[in-house]
Amino acid sequence: MRKVAIVGMGTTKFKARWINKTYYELAYDAAKLAMEDAGIGRKEIDCAVYGIYNDFFQRQYQPDAFVHDYIGLGLKPMVRVNAGGATGGAALRIGYSEVASGLYDICLVLGVEKCNDCYNYEMGITTPEVLRAILYTADMTYDNPAGRTAASGFALAVIAHMEKYGNPTEEQMAKVSVKNHFNATKNPVAQSPQIITVEDVLKSRKIVEPFKFYDNCLYTEGSSAVILASERVARQITDKPVWISGLGASVDYVMPGNRPNIYTFESSRIAARKAYDMAGVKNPIKELDLAELHDAFTGTEIMAYEDCFFCEEGDGGHLIDEGTVMPDGELPVNLSGGLIGCGHAVGATGIMQTYEIALHLRGEAGERQQKNARRGLVQSIGGTLCTWTVCLVLEREDR
Amino acid sequence: MEEYEIERWYNYYHEKFRIPKEYLRRDYEGELSGINPMDAPLEIPDKIEVFFKYSLGQQSRFFRELRESKRIFGSKCIRCGKVYCPPRANCHLCYEPTEWVPLEGTGTIKACTVQYYTTSAFIRKLPFICAYVQLDGTDSLMMTNMEVEDVSRVRVGTKVKAVFREERTGSITDFYFRPV
Repeated sequence: MRKVAIVGMGTTKFKARWINKTYYELAYDAAKLAMEDAGIGRKEIDCAVYGIYNDFFQRQYQPDAFVHDYIGLGLKPMVRVNAGGATGGAALRIGYSEVASGLYDICLVLGVEKCNDCYNYEMGITTPEVLRAILYTADMTYDNPAGRTAASGFALAVIAHMEKYGNPTEEQMAKVSVKNHFNATKNPVAQSPQIITVEDVLKSRKIVEPFKFYDNCLYTEGSSAVILASERVARQITDKPVWISGLGASVDYVMPGNRPNIYTFESSRIAARKAYDMAGVKNPIKELDLAELHDAFTGTEIMAYEDCFFCEEGDGGHLIDEGTVMPDGELPVNLSGGLIGCGHAVGATGIMQTYEIALHLRGEAGERQQKNARRGLVQSIGGTLCTWTVCLVLEREDR
Repeated sequence: MEEYEIERWYNYYHEKFRIPKEYLRRDYEGELSGINPMDAPLEIPDKIEVFFKYSLGQQSRFFRELRESKRIFGSKCIRCGKVYCPPRANCHLCYEPTEWVPLEGTGTIKACTVQYYTTSAFIRKLPFICAYVQLDGTDSLMMTNMEVEDVSRVRVGTKVKAVFREERTGSITDFYFRPV
C-alpha cells in the first residue's frame, strides 16, 4: 500500500440554511476551496468520492452524478458513499483506498448535505420533516412504523450505559455541551457558537430521555472537501502534507436486537483499535494531541472516549469532569465545536472533522490552535445505534 | 405576475399539497420585498410520492398471521435453535433455514426511553415510549413505541403484552404493547 496525504482542503461555512445555494452549488464552493488550497485545478484530479447521505434532503436520487457534472469532473471516475452519519468518514476511507491501491494519484473526497429544504408547511418548520426523511433510512418494515428518531436510538444506548456504569450523568453530558458550544466560538465556520452554562443545558426542553435540547447536534447545511494524493505527488504539490497514518472501519448489525448488548458500540472499538494498530498508537491519551469525535449527542461523545480507548470502559464520564478533554486538557476533544457546536451536515461532517484536525496539524487553526499538534484522531459514526464507524489517525510531516 | 396569476399560483399549491393560502401569500410577498427581488432565492413547495405494492417475501406468513389470526410468530433456526422476532427465513449465524414457532405475545422491556420530539408523521402522539422488547421465547429484540398515560411507569424489566387492533393492515403496527 502507498502512503496517502491530504494535500488540499476546504469547507463552506456550516449553517442552518444556505438558502442561496443548491447542494451542487455548495459542493462547488468546497471543491474550489480545496483545489485552491492544493494549488491544482480540476484537470489534475484523477477521481472523486462523494459523501452524500440522504436523497430526500437533496430532493434528488443519485445526487453524486449532478455534483460531479457541476464541478467539472465529467469523464473521470467517481463513486458515492452513504453510511448514515458516518458518510463523510466512509467517503474518506474509499478515497484513501483509491490512492493507496495505486489506481489513482489524486482523489477529491467531497461531502455535501442540504437538509433544510425539507419543510413541514403545517407546522411552519423544517426539523420534523427532516426527521421524517431520516426515518426512511430506518428499517422500513419493523423500525420505521415505531416513529423512532436517531436521537431515541442513541438515547437507548446511553441509558443502557448509565444503568450499567452509573454514567454519563446528565451533568457530565451538559458539560460536554457547554464545552462544544464554547469551542465553536473560536471556529469561524461553526453554526452554533454559544457561551452557555450547565444550568442552561439542564433546563432546556426535553427531546428524548435523557437528552435535552442542548444535548443534541443541529441539522446543518454545508460542504467540505479534501484532496488526497500519493506520496510522490504530495511531495511535488505541497510542503505541508498531512498523512493518513491509520484507518479503521467496522459496521455492526443495523438491527441492534442482533447484538450482544447496546451499552457499548463495538463497531467504534474495532475501528479505533484498527486505526491505532495501523498508526502504531499504543496509548492514545498520551500519543494523540487532539481528537474530533462524533458528538451527535453529548452522551455519545462520552461513550466515544471509552470506545476510542481514552479510558477504561465505563469511565467516560470522568474525562469531562477531570477536564482531560477540555481545550487546555491533556487530549482536547472537538476543538471545532464538533457536531454540537460546528454542526452536522451529515455527508460533510466526517470531512469537516478531518479538515479541522489537518488545520491544527498544519498550524493554521488560528485562535483555537492546539500547540505542537502532531497527531490527531477523527471518529465518524452513523446509523442505528452506531452501525458504522470509521476512524482515521492523521499526522504531520516531521513526526 | 398579474393578480389573477398570483391567485392561480396560490390555488395550485393549495389544492396540490393543502398548504394554507396565507402561508403561500406570506412567502410570495416576502420573496419580493427585498432590494433585488428577481435575484432573491426562490423556494417552491414539493413532495416526493411513490406508490408501492411491496412483497414481504419470506416474512409473509408472519404478517398474514398478524392480520388473519391475531397471532405473533417467531422463526427458529433449525440448527442452533435461536428464535428471531422480527422473524427471518434463515439464520445469519448458521446459514440454515428457520421454522415458524408461535409465540405467547408476552415479553419484557430490555431498553426504553421517552420521546418528547419526533418526526412530523408521529408528532401528535408525543410523548411516547420508544423501547426494545424481547418477546418471551425469543433471542432477539423488537423496536416498538408505546402510548401510555404515565410514561414513568414503563422501565427496563417491565412485562408487556401484545394487544391486537380492530383494524389490521398486515403491518407491524397491527399490534401494540401494553404493560401487564
